Amino acid sequence: MEAIMNVNFIQELLLSMVRMATPILIVAIAELYSERAGLVNIGLDGMMAFGALAGFLTCYITNNPYLGILAGAICGISVNMVYAFCTITLGAEQIVYGMAINIFAPALASFIYKIYFGINSTLISNTLMSAAPIPFLGKIPVLGNVLFNHTPIVYLAYLLVPFTYVFFNKTKAGLNFKAVGEFPKAAESLGINVIRTKYLASVICGGLAGIGGAYLTTSYIGTYSDGVVSGRGFIALSAVIFGRWMPGGVLLAALLFGFTDALQLRMQVLNSGTPYQLLAMIPYLCTLFVLAFFGIKKAGPKANGRPFFKEER
Amino acid sequence: MGIICINIYDLLNAIKQIREWKSINASGVCMKEILRMENITKKFGEVYANKDINLTIMEGEVHTLLGENGAGKSTLMNILIGLYQPTRGDIYRYGEKVKIDSPSRAVKLGLGMVHQHFMLVEAMTVFENIILGVSNDKSIFIKKDAIKKEIIALAAKYSLDIEIDKEVTEISVGAQQRVEILKALYRGAEVLILDEPTAALTDIEVEGLFRIIRKLTAEKKSVIFISHKMREVLEISDQITILRAGRTIATLAKDNTDAAELANLMIGKELVTCEHEKVTDTKENIISLANVSYNKNSKHSGIRDITLAVGKGEILGIAGVDGNGQSQLAQMVTGVISPDHGEVLLHAKKIAKFIPGYFIASGVSHIPEDRNKMGLIGTMSVKENLVLKRLEKPEISLGKGLFLKKPAMVKCAENMKDKYDIRCESIEQETRNLSGGNQQKIILARELEENPDLLVAVHPTRGLDVGATRFIHEKMLDSRDKGCGVLLISADFDEVLKLSDRIAVMFEGQIVGVYPGKNPPIKEISLAMAGKQMGQGD
Amino acid sequence: MNTKNNLIKILVPIIAIVVSFLVGAILIACIGGNPIEAFSYLFRGAFGSASNISDTFVKATPLIFTGLAATFAYRCGVFNLGAEGQFVMGAVASIWISTTLTGIPAPLQLVISIVGGAIAGGLWGVIPGILKITRGLNEMIVSIMLNYVAILFMGYLYSGPLREGSVPQTGSVTARLARLFSPIRIPEGFIIALVLAAVIYYYLFYTSSGFKLRTVGLNRTAAEYNGFPVKKLILISFIVSGAIAGIGGSVELHGTQFRLMSGFGEGYGFDGVAIALIGQLNPVGTVLVAYLFAVLRKGATTMQVGTGLPTSVIDIIQALVIVFAVAGSAFVNLPKIRQVFTNLTGKSKKEGK
Repeated sequence: MEAIMNVNFIQELLLSMVRMATPILIVAIAELYSERAGLVNIGLDGMMAFGALAGFLTCYITNNPYLGILAGAICGISVNMVYAFCTITLGAEQIVYGMAINIFAPALASFIYKIYFGINSTLISNTLMSAAPIPFLGKIPVLGNVLFNHTPIVYLAYLLVPFTYVFFNKTKAGLNFKAVGEFPKAAESLGINVIRTKYLASVICGGLAGIGGAYLTTSYIGTYSDGVVSGRGFIALSAVIFGRWMPGGVLLAALLFGFTDALQLRMQVLNSGTPYQLLAMIPYLCTLFVLAFFGIKKAGPKANGRPFFKEER
Repeated sequence: MGIICINIYDLLNAIKQIREWKSINASGVCMKEILRMENITKKFGEVYANKDINLTIMEGEVHTLLGENGAGKSTLMNILIGLYQPTRGDIYRYGEKVKIDSPSRAVKLGLGMVHQHFMLVEAMTVFENIILGVSNDKSIFIKKDAIKKEIIALAAKYSLDIEIDKEVTEISVGAQQRVEILKALYRGAEVLILDEPTAALTDIEVEGLFRIIRKLTAEKKSVIFISHKMREVLEISDQITILRAGRTIATLAKDNTDAAELANLMIGKELVTCEHEKVTDTKENIISLANVSYNKNSKHSGIRDITLAVGKGEILGIAGVDGNGQSQLAQMVTGVISPDHGEVLLHAKKIAKFIPGYFIASGVSHIPEDRNKMGLIGTMSVKENLVLKRLEKPEISLGKGLFLKKPAMVKCAENMKDKYDIRCESIEQETRNLSGGNQQKIILARELEENPDLLVAVHPTRGLDVGATRFIHEKMLDSRDKGCGVLLISADFDEVLKLSDRIAVMFEGQIVGVYPGKNPPIKEISLAMAGKQMGQGD
Repeated sequence: MNTKNNLIKILVPIIAIVVSFLVGAILIACIGGNPIEAFSYLFRGAFGSASNISDTFVKATPLIFTGLAATFAYRCGVFNLGAEGQFVMGAVASIWISTTLTGIPAPLQLVISIVGGAIAGGLWGVIPGILKITRGLNEMIVSIMLNYVAILFMGYLYSGPLREGSVPQTGSVTARLARLFSPIRIPEGFIIALVLAAVIYYYLFYTSSGFKLRTVGLNRTAAEYNGFPVKKLILISFIVSGAIAGIGGSVELHGTQFRLMSGFGEGYGFDGVAIALIGQLNPVGTVLVAYLFAVLRKGATTMQVGTGLPTSVIDIIQALVIVFAVAGSAFVNLPKIRQVFTNLTGKSKKEGK
């Protein structure tokens, strides 16, 4: 038990927490933009998988993890445009189509991987993005390491939070954006282009989800495998609900899940007696309990999930 | 010589124009004509929603549009704000012809509408709702302080009391309405259209609204006031235009008329010819409500202290403009909602459970107000909708629903289809593809074939043509003659007058009068519907 | 009119399948393969020999179960995405019963085991149901989280308490489901799946309870107004859906895998959802589409061996079928398109006065 109270341990834990929360945070913010415009997109897992593949492959070929991130974004957007077209223009049920993306995108990712690398089982390794410690701030004991000694994507993820907050709460575009998800008919009557806003939200969602996936294979671990995402997309979904559709809340939720994830890994090392599977369950059970006690039916943009069709004249 | 002639000609023209769009109002103040709708006609298919309507709005006047449901008021206003295009007719603004082809065009022309159901985003604040979609400066950021000042100044100018930082859900309905008015003013409205603005307000809030309207007109804004409430119309209007069946019946100055005349013009009938016998007394009550309340504080969607009974073999008609608690009454007597206070007795027994199943099992049938949302399964076939309630009957299934006999279902459905004249290509057709009239007949068939003790019919002939309407009325009368009690809730006054054995009027959640169905006192009833009692001062 | 609608409903998935194969063919050509050769290996793999045909049935069986689970749930308007977890828990219950209840004749043990699987699956499925009814929680996220919990739990079991030997897997079950009709050797599990499909079909379309369940899924408000017990029916749909998946896991254990190990039940859950959607939520459609998926999966390995093309091509074709089928369904349901169809048939859509 002294091991736990060790400052080093806590530092490692918090560092892990920040790193593991990152993909969840990015993807949760992606979903936040989408749901704020009234589109529930459960295809996050799929987009992440595809973004992960794109990032990995690009990084492998170009040896540049940053290009990998960019590739992840582009691929995420492409996949999400299929979703966008079918739900916005065709009016397909959003949840059903999100599932379709969850099946389609990973299959595509797996396919491209196998085409390129062949069908063997050894995991190919990648150049990882190197950490970019922030000068001066990174030298602060304990806290400096935890907060300022990460890869740039991590910084990006956390900067997204205040950016999103400012966008939604301080800009005209953000206000109009929110109206689309709350009361599209009123928004349309005030001259806001609802359809265009929804497509824009899908672009942002796809891009960020793709980056979240690419982060996994270029920054977090340097390999790609079919299970690399392991449900993080859905945890991100619950982070949005738990965070009450606000960037700050989403940040807290992501950190919480990151923490449980980091904790269970550390505990696996410490208590080699307990089977690792039981510990690995913790993040998922945590999500469940959090939802069960804090998930409230009425919260969320009012017109979320409903298709919008312009009135016929 | 020529020059002098031309000048005289121009002068005469100018004088003619001045006479045409300026007039002197009662106080001797010279008024400008802001808006003129000339011979506006709107056809939907074969039906005329508006026919040759003429409406002139002067600057700084309160002009009321008076008329029943279906008189054509909403269509006319939708044309004015650019949602519909007129089939014929022109609109003039300050004497110049304009084409209003979109809502944003209407806004640019200075027309602002406050809908009956507010278009406010509930999760946002008053401030945010007002500035939504507006960009008066180049910045991407909301210059909150500067704009707030602007809005507060604007609000003060028109005595609009608002709490600018509160969320819409936190403010009263009256306050929400003020926000909607401010929204229109912020976008430069010169003519404000208020659609049934007092429907959801308390008396005090109504007074507040009237103060605001007077301030608006003092500042040379015009108000088009749509209402059916006589007292208010007589208090606030300068001019009143009565619409009936899509046409303008008359335009009167307030000082030249009274409630009785207006009611008469609105309803347009003195006598009702009746083709069937009316029941004048009943033996027992099927359902009775005693001091029942639900959502008491809402005038618009609640019922307050109602005592009512429907007898065996009679039709009790509830007259009243939609939105006075009728929906809630219907839901209460079919088990969808349960009362907050008071007692409901069915067959003289207390209700065990307020669920639809209990009521249905006790012999209550329901023709709901929204047939597609509440009554029918659109994607299921006509046959399936017809037999929906008889799935456990022995002729349709074995073992109370364990095996559905498909041929029996077909036979039963075909019988119902013939008996109720449901026109469709086949009973296997999807119900959503049928016309409204036939859809309603499906519900009628399904409900009446249960031989109910009580039939609750809500707007049963809404949107139906003459033939379908007559058919449904006949069936309802048949049912009554067989001993069924009928609670008819309808905004169609004709229908209520024609069918009811007794008429009760609902206004703001209360029963404000019960009248005989035989030789009904129409004037009294229509006044009650408008919230005024006969004999009360104008 | 109903026939016209049914025709459209059948055509949409068929067209989706055809288009997907076309796209797949283009894809294969792009990476330098020969589509015709590839597809011929595919079909040979699925139908080429008696043992191949048998294997296809084997692969189809679990898919039918999860497909039926998803179909049943969605018919009530409920998204059961937890079929994989319910499948696994069914198998877990079966393994536990098999290892605990020794000394009784194999057929009896089999029956108890499968019933146990149904109960376990039903319980695992009722959790999201209760949360939905009492707290209005989104059942999707709950059921997906439970998937991971179930898989990890199974992993714990076969690596720990129920482990046999040095490899992480459980001991094998003694009561086994046989293969019938030599030489084709259809697994008994497949027969059970077909029977279950027939039972569900009967329930949905020939009982009043099934009828009411369907109305809840189509128009919940109208169902309520017509006196149907909406909440009860929703709960039933969760439980039954979970039970079906649980039976599937049990059958897979006793019929094919015989022991729990890594990868048991992988992917069946989401595939089941896809199968249900493509099969237009009809048990018959579910069986057919499940069989198609099995054909694809079985043929894919043969194709890979024969041509070197990765099995992922088939995964993509499978995924494309879903994408096109769902988009197609949405497309034909657009009001404007419905108008086009009625105009095409030449008759007026609304009957006259």
